[in-house]
Amino acid sequence: MALKQVSSNKCFEGFQKVFEHDSTELKCKMKFGIYLPPKAETGKCPVLYWLSGLTCTEQNFITKAGFHQAAAEHGLIVVAPDTSPRGCNIEGEDESWDFGTGAGFYVDATEDPWKTNYRMYSYIKDELPKLINANFPTDPERMSVFGHSMGGHGALIFALKNPGKYKSVSAFAPICNPIQCQWGKKAFGGYLGSDTSKWEAYDATQLVKSCPDSHLDFLIDQGKDDQFLSAGQLLPDNFIAACTERKIPVVFRLQQGYDHSYFFIATFINDHIKHHAKYLNA
Amino acid sequence: MLKVKETYCTITNLLPNTQYEFWVSALNASGISPPSERAVYVTAPSPPAIKTKKIRSCENAALVCWESRDINPVDSYMVELSKLTDEENGDIITESIIGIPNCEVLIHLQPTQRYHISVRALNLGGSSERSEPVLIHTTGTYFCLNEDTAHPLLAILDDGFTIACDELENPECDLPIYDNSFTRCIGILGSLIPFPGKHYWEVEVEEDTEYRIGVAFENTPRHGYLGANNSSWCMRHIITPSRHKYEFLHSGMTPDIRITIPPRRIGILLDYENCKLSFFNADIAQHLYTFNSRFQHFVHPCFALETPGILRIHNGIAMPLCTAFP
Repeated sequence: MALKQVSSNKCFEGFQKVFEHDSTELKCKMKFGIYLPPKAETGKCPVLYWLSGLTCTEQNFITKAGFHQAAAEHGLIVVAPDTSPRGCNIEGEDESWDFGTGAGFYVDATEDPWKTNYRMYSYIKDELPKLINANFPTDPERMSVFGHSMGGHGALIFALKNPGKYKSVSAFAPICNPIQCQWGKKAFGGYLGSDTSKWEAYDATQLVKSCPDSHLDFLIDQGKDDQFLSAGQLLPDNFIAACTERKIPVVFRLQQGYDHSYFFIATFINDHIKHHAKYLNA
Repeated sequence: MLKVKETYCTITNLLPNTQYEFWVSALNASGISPPSERAVYVTAPSPPAIKTKKIRSCENAALVCWESRDINPVDSYMVELSKLTDEENGDIITESIIGIPNCEVLIHLQPTQRYHISVRALNLGGSSERSEPVLIHTTGTYFCLNEDTAHPLLAILDDGFTIACDELENPECDLPIYDNSFTRCIGILGSLIPFPGKHYWEVEVEEDTEYRIGVAFENTPRHGYLGANNSSWCMRHIITPSRHKYEFLHSGMTPDIRITIPPRRIGILLDYENCKLSFFNADIAQHLYTFNSRFQHFVHPCFALETPGILRIHNGIAMPLCTAFP
């Protein structure tokens, strides 16, 4: 598993780096951002995985979110992978911004022509942590996940499908119930086929209803002026109702005046880092 | 008048904290001598009585008050402390504070210790006996409820830490209202030690009770509702037909927050240093909300009921790990 460093910038006495590697799951070259806090020079640190949303690469979060100061203060390594395989030359992969390139939806596709490369679920769950733990000063027992929008959906499903693997989870404007929204229907239809029962395994609201064994404490921030909220793409009420029913602890904050952008993420990122630090540094 | 044959006499059964004059005359067959010069003595005072129900403490200090058992004023008071250890000489006085003019003192202490504190009154005649000591634990913060502030419909149960309200008919009712009590909001203030740093306490609630709990300034308007003004901050629980609703109120405003598990035991952390007031679901160590506010004055815990029910207050608890959320 050879890693090639693409860039390195000193930030809050730690380093924001970008690496590239050959992914065995995705069968292409993949980049990821990794922030190493000052503490990583002298000891092992917990790892916080950030999953980005539609159209993002590994760059958006590391340049716009403003998380470095809090990550440095709490001694957390932050990994920000890309949102889909790239350069696979699959027909149709660049046709829409909400399907294909930049829109992996964190699933393992079962349909052609996607199933060879579009295996973001396995990449994030297994290949990437293994790679990170082998190459950086991490504490492999301390791992958490968070994300935005499609990445918020990713964070929720990884946490719900892998009890005990993540110490904490949080999300910004997550797609909570993809089988009920346009984005989800398009993506799952394309990657998983038309049998909708196969979609449920990747839907956070469904997962809560069917395997409610989560002791995780979910923190979710949602902008009240988010155009995708009003367009019915996010459906947080469904997730909240399912969690209330199944007694899964969630604190959901509807933030007045905020939209779907990285300006919203930057405003509340410190609260999320602190939320994760509480569990990762315990 | 006492007849004695010796040149000395012991007089007993005098009143404490009282000035007496003594004089002597000699007596023989020819009659009584003129009286001697008067000797003036003051008897020592009675030991004060510490108001055990009004003790307030935290990890680093205690506020103790007492009352004099004499009618006339004394000159000053002296407080004596002994830190309890497991060793045999545990009860040795380790510190004295003298020259206290009033019936109250704020003492600086060390955290997670136990102390015996007693008070003596002093006058010209000397010092009284030591008062009955009180035991103070500097684990967590300990406060009592201020009965004077209770709305007439709010009852404090015998343990001193459970408040109850039976019925809400006519909150502005004909029951006697004291100057300091809440008149509309069925609430009560606690008396928190006025000391900086962190304070933590818990409130046990029932699922079907609507309440407001938080902190308020001493002078928060008694005709107002907790959280509706800028002198109080509180978490409010309301039950709607479809769900539990939670508000975090200050100046009448609240963020829009949904909480999926209705908390049964709420932890409240007041952090003067970092200017925060935080609420937790103490049973699952879940952080609910934090007000960021630079408190200009010391505050007191406040509690109010909006439906019949009870609230049980727990204090003297060490801060749990979940409150390490900075």
